Order: sequence, then structure tokens, then C-alpha cells
Amino acid sequence: MNKKHSPVLAGILSTFIPGLGQFYAGLRYRGVAVLLGMLFTSGIVAWYGKPIWYLAPVLIWLWNIWDAICAARQGRTFSVLLPILFGFVAMFGIGLAVVGVDFSKADINRAIAIMRPMFHPDFIQKRAESNQAWVEVMVPCLPGRSVSGINEENGKKVTITPTCADIGEALTITASGFWPNTDANLWWEDPSGSVKMIGPGEAAMLVAHTDGSGTLTASFKVPTTATIAVPDVTQSPPHRVYLEQTRLLGGFELSYVGGRVLQGALQTIGMALMATALAILLAIPVSFLAARNLMSGNPFTYAIYFIVRTLLNILRSIEPLIIAIVFVVIVGLGPFAGVLALAVHSVAALAKLYSEVIEGIDPGPIEAIRATGANWVQVVRYAVIPQIVPPFTAFTIYRWDINVRSATIIGFVGGGGIGFLLIELIRINNFRGVGALFITIAVIVMLLDYFSAKIRERLV
Amino acid sequence: MLKIENLTKVYPNGTVALKNVSFEVPDGEFLVVIGLSGSGKSTLLRCINRLIEPTEGKVYWDKTDITAASPTELLHIRQHIGMVFQQFNLVRRSSVMTNVLSGRLGYANPWLSLLNIWPEEEKRRAMQALERVGIPDKAYSRADTLSGGQQQRVGIARALMQEPKFILADEPVASLDPVLSHSILQYLEQLNKEGITVICSLHFLDLVHRYATRVVGLKDGLKVFEGTATEIDRAKFKEIYGEEAQEVRATTV
Repeated sequence: MNKKHSPVLAGILSTFIPGLGQFYAGLRYRGVAVLLGMLFTSGIVAWYGKPIWYLAPVLIWLWNIWDAICAARQGRTFSVLLPILFGFVAMFGIGLAVVGVDFSKADINRAIAIMRPMFHPDFIQKRAESNQAWVEVMVPCLPGRSVSGINEENGKKVTITPTCADIGEALTITASGFWPNTDANLWWEDPSGSVKMIGPGEAAMLVAHTDGSGTLTASFKVPTTATIAVPDVTQSPPHRVYLEQTRLLGGFELSYVGGRVLQGALQTIGMALMATALAILLAIPVSFLAARNLMSGNPFTYAIYFIVRTLLNILRSIEPLIIAIVFVVIVGLGPFAGVLALAVHSVAALAKLYSEVIEGIDPGPIEAIRATGANWVQVVRYAVIPQIVPPFTAFTIYRWDINVRSATIIGFVGGGGIGFLLIELIRINNFRGVGALFITIAVIVMLLDYFSAKIRERLV
Repeated sequence: MLKIENLTKVYPNGTVALKNVSFEVPDGEFLVVIGLSGSGKSTLLRCINRLIEPTEGKVYWDKTDITAASPTELLHIRQHIGMVFQQFNLVRRSSVMTNVLSGRLGYANPWLSLLNIWPEEEKRRAMQALERVGIPDKAYSRADTLSGGQQQRVGIARALMQEPKFILADEPVASLDPVLSHSILQYLEQLNKEGITVICSLHFLDLVHRYATRVVGLKDGLKVFEGTATEIDRAKFKEIYGEEAQEVRATTV
């Protein structure tokens, strides 16, 4: 600072026009920035119009006067921390005002109902075998419609007496040929196939124990809801009483849902592989067209370069999820639509990365190999390929890694794989399955992350 | 005998790198080209094997007109001209062996060479070249794991694979420290004594005094000096390097 500035004048100037004092003190950019910041903040606050927020421009205005005085007195400035802090508070405030925090619809019980099964993922189950039999019974007793009340199969025999009854009447079931000294569950199934409990209060399974010879006897009442789903009792087919014993075989096995989750995961990884492979095929030739150093030779090739670059940028800015919706319409639901969407997005992304590798080639080795009298194919083989293959591979693995994650999301819109399964499980409220699926996704992504990082480390 | 006649190079952006440069290099010479950065030394060396196409002028090698050679003839000519670079120009990710063998590409079966398959004889030759420059133990290391001096030795071994009639060395020691400079130049001197003509550009005058049999000085693309190193007196030095130049010595050896 070779000129003296009056701090009082600077302060007065900034009082009337924010930033003018700083401008006067020689800090022109700062002055303009303060003025613009002040206008912006005031504008936003005025537009939103909550009185409390008028505090923000007032505070900035006060700071601005102080800043102008400091600038004029010392020829240097105070920290910008304070206005940045104001700015941050203003940002959050505006966001809050527009979006709002709404917990009014929150339901902790529903959250628990979903979260609890998710923490007991249905992935593996104890290995078990079961022993099942059933017998038919008529409800109510009608002339000319009767059943035998006996069912024999696979060495098991189940008898029910009487063979017909009305709601609330007692029935006795006798069964033989079951595993000895084991609990058996008994339940009722109406003609529509819906299950009714016949245990205490019709709220629990009826459990009976077989004796040493594998025989059991149990009494219960016809459940009160037995005919609720039967439109015309006079035409009704017989109801059934089931008996089932289960015993553990020791060890664990994949559950049904767990199997489907693994299948889905495999499909997702496969989708990513196929999409990446397709993308490589297209991206390699395109990347040469998008490499500035190869294409800047004459206006014609430069025009091609420019067009290819622009197209790639446009393509890359469209989310694969949105592309997938288009492809679902074109080729129908299923993993193939997802593959095409991922491939299109990956071509754009890979071609850009590849072209940057090509742009970064060291011309030295090319010159050196040319100097040995090598022909151009040999020059490409010995000087170009060794330079581009490792980074190409690294970028491709990285892209595959991203594609696996994207493929998970793309399943949501019908693109198949693990995402499709996820939406299905949520729809049927199978949150134990959702839990298993989350674990699988997390494990896949972590493994992929780790190994792709390791491989890339070695290549680059 | 290499004969350079009225060589001129004008780059597309209008820079005139060489203006009417003419001189002769008899067989067996260690010719050093000196001059400031940007004086045209690199362009001159590259015009000889046409890594850069000269705009005008002729380069004769014995009776052959290099500047008029067809693309195929040019490959045959380059095959016999070894080249060593300031930045070594090795393929950093390839092994030392592959880098050395690549010097042999002009001789090799074009199809097998694309698969990086080399006859035993060529591998033996490459090992011998590495032994000559003292780093046979590095044959299967990746080129970029070597130090600067070792990388330049690989560069020389690569040039040796060409069984060159002459070697173009473009600032071969400018990226190396002074002690290494001597060891690299001694290899070139040894090759020169075995009958290979060397054309080398150098920065440091003491190195020029020590190794050159003859000197060509360039300034702004013009030849401003030709003679022996001892003929470079203060006046000549100022003429080549400009009024403000001070002589800096590479080493005290």
C-alpha cells in the first residue's frame, strides 16, 4: 500500500454501499465480491420472506463496515471466516425452508417391524427334514356329503372322528407310523388353502407328542373361522387337518430366499460383465477418435474429435437408470435391458478415459522405436501398446466395478438381477429376505472394491 | 562419410530451426554439436535419420541420399543408425530385455516380433550388449525400476543391437549427474574407437574438450563454428553461447 486511506471514510462508504469502502481502500475484487454477496443474500432472504432471516444480511452488512475499516487502516484484511459462516447458515436455512423437516408421518413401530426382520436375514437355515400327513373332514355335516376320515400313505395312517362336525365341535385325531418321541404340529387348512391355527385360543400351533411307537392322539375344536372363506358351505369340498414333524439334521443350508439372492447376485455380476465387454468393443475405436493429440492434425479430423467428444459428454451425463427405462420399453423387462443401458453409459465413460490415456502417451519411446528402423506396426506393438494396455485395463476394471453397483440399481426399473429381486421382496414384505440381500450387496461391493483397487494398484 | 548439405528446417508454426547447415562427418569421428537450448541441435540430429523431415537440403550417407529414400529404404537406413536420447526413451513398463531387443526390430521377422518372440541368438546378443554396458543382472527388471544412469546404458545397449555404422546421441548425459556423464560418454568413446562414428550433442564444454574429435557449433539454427575443441577460445565461446554466457564445468575430473 503506497497510498493512505481514511478508515472513517471507508467505514462510511461501506455503510451506504456495501463493498465501496473496500473498493476505496484498493481491494477492488473484494469490494465487488462483498457487494454481490450482500445483494445475493438480501435477494434470497427477501424472496423467502421469513423475518428471522433478515438477520443474515444485517450481520453481513455490519461485518462489511468493520472489514472496510480494517482494510483502510492496515492495508490488509480480516479473515473471511465470518461471512463464510454466515453464508453456510444461510445455505442451510434456505434449504431447510424449501425442503422442511417432516417427522409427522414417522412411525417408530413400523420402522421396528421392518428393521427387526432385516437383522435376522433369511439367508441360511438349519438343515431339517419333515414328515407330513393329512386327513379330510367335512364342515358342517350334510347328508350325502361324507369323507372316510382315514388317510394312509407312506406307512403313515391318520384317522379323524367324527368325520364331520360344525364350528366349535370337538374332533379327535389319531395318527400312527410317525417318528417316535417327537413333537408334531397340527393345523387346519380350509378348502381355499388358508391355514388356521387350532392350538390354544386359535392363536398358536397345536402341538402333540408321539409315543415310543410313533403314535399320537390329539383333540381340538373346529376353528371358528373355518368357513369364513367358503362361499357356499353346502357345496364346499372337505377341509384338511395337517400333521407335521420336523427334526434337525445338524448343520446349515441355504434357504430358499438365500438361494434366490445368490442367483440374483450372480445375474447382476454377469450383467456388469456383459455390459463392460460390449462397452470395451465400442470404446476402443471411439477413444482414438476422441483423442486430441491424434485428431488435431487438420480441421476435418478436429471436427470429428469435437463431435465425438460432445456426443460422449451428452451420453455420459444421462444416468444409466434413465437409459434403462428406455431399453425396458424397447427390449422388454429383464436383465438384457439393463445390460444395454449399462453398455451405452459405459461406452461413453470408457471412451473418455481411454482417450485421456492416449492423449497422455509419452512420445519418447515412439521416437526411439521408429529410430531403430521398425515399421509402424512394430512401433505400435513396442511403443504404444505397452503404454496404453495397463491403464486401459485398470480403467476397465474400475468401470466393471461401477457397473456392478449400477446393475443393482437398474434392477429396480425391471432390469433384472439383484435389484429386481429387492423390489419384489419389499413388495411382499419379506424383510428377512431384504436383510439377506443387503448383506450380499455389501459383501460383493466390498470384495470388488478391495480387489479392483489391488489390481489397479499393480497396473498403474 | 556423412555429408550434410544446406539443411533447413522450418516447423509448421513458422519456427526456423535450421538454416542452411552444411558439414561433413568422416567415418570414425566423434563429432560433438554444441549450442544453447533451442539452437537446433535436436532438430539437426533428427533430420539425419528423418525422424523429422527436413524442409530443404540433403543428407548423404556415402553414396545414399537419405533425404530422397523411399519409406522402405528409410527403414533399412535407420536400421544401421543407432540413437540415444536425453530422456532415454525406454518403454517404461517393459522389461530391460524387451527394450534392448526392440533395437533389433529392423532385422527381426516382422510377424514373430509382434508376438515378442525372439530367436535364442538375438537374446544372446542382447545379453552381450547388456554385459558391455555392465548391467546384465538387470535384464528382466522393469525399465522404470532402473536409475537414470542404468536407463541410459539400456539406451546404449538398444542402439548396439542395431550393429550401427554410426550413433546419434541427443544430449545423452543432460539428464544425468556429472559422474555418470563420464561413464556414459566413455561407453560412447569406446564404441567410437571400435569404428562407430558418433554424432553427439552436448552442453558442457569440459566434456566437449574431453571427448570430441571435432565440434560443430549452432546458434539460432545457423552453423557458427566448425573445428576442434581446442579452437574454441573466449571469442568463439561468446559467439556460440552469447555475450552473457559463463562457462560451467560439468565435473572437476
